[in-house]
Amino acid sequence: MDQTEEQEPIRYAELLAEHYKAAGHPPYRWSVHDTAPFAPLKRPLPECTVTMLTAGGISERARSPWNAWARNDHRLDAIPVGVDSAHLQIHDAYCDHGDADRDINCQFPVDRLRELRQLGEIGTLAPRLWSGFMGRIYDRSRLVEQSAPAFAAALKEDHVDLLIAVPA
Amino acid sequence: MGLVCRVVEELGISTVCLSTARDLTLQVIPPRAVFVNFPMGNAFGAPFDTRQQLRVLRACLELADSATRGGALTEMPDRWPTEFRFKPDRSGM
Repeated sequence: MDQTEEQEPIRYAELLAEHYKAAGHPPYRWSVHDTAPFAPLKRPLPECTVTMLTAGGISERARSPWNAWARNDHRLDAIPVGVDSAHLQIHDAYCDHGDADRDINCQFPVDRLRELRQLGEIGTLAPRLWSGFMGRIYDRSRLVEQSAPAFAAALKEDHVDLLIAVPA
Repeated sequence: MGLVCRVVEELGISTVCLSTARDLTLQVIPPRAVFVNFPMGNAFGAPFDTRQQLRVLRACLELADSATRGGALTEMPDRWPTEFRFKPDRSGM
């Protein structure tokens, strides 16, 4: 049905709690913070090196698919920036990805990112795009102390100035 | 994902986190977030709608460029054309 009024944002915390329970997962406690760290952009966008991370269970077709029902999966794929967007696949039980199956750009806009690069709105793209940190990571200390810092180190190797992160 | 962005930002790299889940984003507070009230799985909009996809992507870039503090949030005015709900895949249960 058409929306005659603006739809209120869905309150996912409660819905996901029910979803996890039905799937036999333990209750998920979302991190709660009052403030956030801040690292200002170091240079103008047309000079920045940009990359993108998806947590939407996206992989190259030539590689093994993500386990859509995994728990505590710290797998992290580097996806070559020149990848043909038609060669990407999605395995994610978190949401309906029917649209993204037809056009990956509605969840992981690799073609749009390359267009903005060609238009000069961003300086360059890093050689690696990323897929990882899919939902249901319960061992948060491993994430914060190991997996995420290792990911940041890889971004530094690629001289990344800006990361665009897209959850499922 | 917001948590990953927080760690990356603490290590000196700027991040923007796109969000279709406003309540979760307000809890985690990524360094910069763009909320768009689209279904999960359609963070950048509808398939083959390149203008919409570019608009969301540009909103991410604009926030990266303009933010002056951690926890900055852009709320996009775009509306999804139909009512939507949380629709996880239950086939694996």
